[in-house]
Amino acid sequence: MHELTRRSLIKAALAGGAAVTLTGCGMLPEKAAYKGARQYTGAIGLADGSFAVGAIAPDGKMLWQSPVSTRCHSGCNRPGSAEVLFFERRPGWSFYVLNSRTGERLHHIQAGEGEHFVGHGVFSQDGRFLYATASRYDPGEGIVAVYDSQQDYQRVNTFELNGTGPHQLTLHPDGRTLIVGLGGILTHPDYDRIKLNLDTMKPALVLVDSQSGATIGRFSPSHHQLSTRHVDVAPDGTIYAAYQYQGPAHELPPLIARYRHGRYEEIDLGESVHRKLGNYIASIVAHPENDLVAIASPIGGTALVFNGLSGKVLEQASIADCAGVEALAGGDFLVSSGRGKLVRIGKGQPAREIASMPVQWDHHLV
Amino acid sequence: MKRLISSLSLCLTLSLVISPLAAAVTSTADDQGTDYRKQWHSDISTGYQTLAAQSQALKDQAETYCKAPSSEGLKQTRKAWLDAFLAWQEVRFVDFGPVEQGNRAWQFQFWPDPKNLTARKASYLLKDSAPVTAEKISESGVAVQGFPMAEYLLYDQTFSAGSNALPADRTCSLLVAVTRHIADNGANLANDWKGFESNYVGNQQYTDTTIRAAMAGLEILEERRLAAPMGLRGNGKRSVYNADAWRSGTSLIAAEASVRGLKNYFLPAFSSLLHDRKQSGLAQDIEQQFDEVLANFPELDRPMAPLLADDNAFRSLQSLYIDITQLTALVNDRAAVELGIVRGFNSSDGD
Repeated sequence: MHELTRRSLIKAALAGGAAVTLTGCGMLPEKAAYKGARQYTGAIGLADGSFAVGAIAPDGKMLWQSPVSTRCHSGCNRPGSAEVLFFERRPGWSFYVLNSRTGERLHHIQAGEGEHFVGHGVFSQDGRFLYATASRYDPGEGIVAVYDSQQDYQRVNTFELNGTGPHQLTLHPDGRTLIVGLGGILTHPDYDRIKLNLDTMKPALVLVDSQSGATIGRFSPSHHQLSTRHVDVAPDGTIYAAYQYQGPAHELPPLIARYRHGRYEEIDLGESVHRKLGNYIASIVAHPENDLVAIASPIGGTALVFNGLSGKVLEQASIADCAGVEALAGGDFLVSSGRGKLVRIGKGQPAREIASMPVQWDHHLV
Repeated sequence: MKRLISSLSLCLTLSLVISPLAAAVTSTADDQGTDYRKQWHSDISTGYQTLAAQSQALKDQAETYCKAPSSEGLKQTRKAWLDAFLAWQEVRFVDFGPVEQGNRAWQFQFWPDPKNLTARKASYLLKDSAPVTAEKISESGVAVQGFPMAEYLLYDQTFSAGSNALPADRTCSLLVAVTRHIADNGANLANDWKGFESNYVGNQQYTDTTIRAAMAGLEILEERRLAAPMGLRGNGKRSVYNADAWRSGTSLIAAEASVRGLKNYFLPAFSSLLHDRKQSGLAQDIEQQFDEVLANFPELDRPMAPLLADDNAFRSLQSLYIDITQLTALVNDRAAVELGIVRGFNSSDGD
């Protein structure tokens, strides 16, 4: 299995090289090969306590808001279409399919019996199949639920993750490998958000073949309470994972891992930086145009950009309740916060606020 | 009514006085921060010791009662449950440190319980024929391990009218096993808190953490323990089942204990911090508002259900609620802004 993983990743790295060339001509600043519209979408909380999904232009202008009945978390754009999906936050009983130009609701799909979503999904490159992380909550089994968008989002397959608490997933530039953050934390909808297995957690970064559903790679963090929640991948195939540490607040373990050239390593950003992250990273994004990686920690109120290869921190900004990160064309990042701020952060220039609006941005922008 | 109006206008005034440029608390000279944390550590330690002692007393009383059941013994066991439960309410705001280990806070009090897991689990355990051992309690989940389960066995009306009512053998075994679990948790928590001292005092981030814990405690009190059962949220219907400790009718005396705990274990060091930050006026306002809230008691040491059922009686509940919203506004809005402390949309959700 190990050989297979390495081979497929080397192949992926080659494919990734081609992707760099394509995005080099000022195309959309997206990590995926395709994005339908030049806009960013996020789940929001409104001043009256209600919830919506909202889309903004890169200059921070709100394009539309689509009301939803409960708080959503993250979502994904469907390649080759004007559809954007958003998932209810954990335990998510449904996801919404919206017209990405207008916000009009096209579908509202319920989770399978005995299952709930966990807030994230990703499409196959051709835009047909949706892969959504989910949990069979009674036995506590993590799965990837597969839906066919060409059949009105019928459920067509289920991949076992052989572990608990999957969270974010993304698609490798090889177009085939799913990269899944397996948080390892057991929860149950009857028990609020109580973490039921902190002593016996088995978090992992899991690689799954999206065609066969087979697990082709599995990497464990250096401590069993480093919940591996968020993942991203650079066009050259370098994978990044961001942790949320479940141990005592005064301990400062590494919070980021990188997988490249067959090696899984953790990146230490240094104690002074770690103190500002509160052992919690809400988003990690590898920029498709350069070697930069951005993370945001709402607990630490800190967003920062580091060099993915050297681990050197290049820019930091204090942004209260920041969580969402997306890549901007030209090499910078956009960070959103629960206080309605949109901040541009990049290398060699101080972070600058580009918008402040009366909404609370939830964790992710897509 | 007049009081209500003046209270509301005070709220409005408060929300307008916001200083936009506030430095974070952690930028205070850290030797001062060490002093605050030393005091918090010592004050919370007092609260934890009380919890440990009262939990032990509850366990002892449950054992005594079950050895030789009597109606007087049942009364005394209920009293011991309440004393221990109130000791927990006083330290319930502490949501960091050793109480996080193994979900201890949830073990002490699994709440809210919209699916009534407490009753379902009790019924399941009482039907089972295997002995109710400490291991059985440990593996049965947080709905079994704390005050709500003991409360169910001691107070639930339907249950107490049924064939399993105390002092039925198996119910007694369950009660004793649950109170032993509570007593063990109480003793371990007090002990671990002592061992936590150097990490707590030595890390300046725990200053913010402690203040955030108090803010969260007040918000839960206002929103979930009062506004929700009072019908001020959601579908607008009053329902005592949205309160905690409704079976024993102690939701309000528990609220009083939580406010008293914040006053005794959080406020002293917090006041010093505010004084040092040239916020003496605000510190005084907060101290006074704690007294305003507590002045609603002991008159309101009553079951909540009758107060929800009668519009006249409901007014005394509204008065308490408004006093608490003012306290929350002073601590969570004004002081937090002055000290640069943020509790966010994303920073407390765990995704």
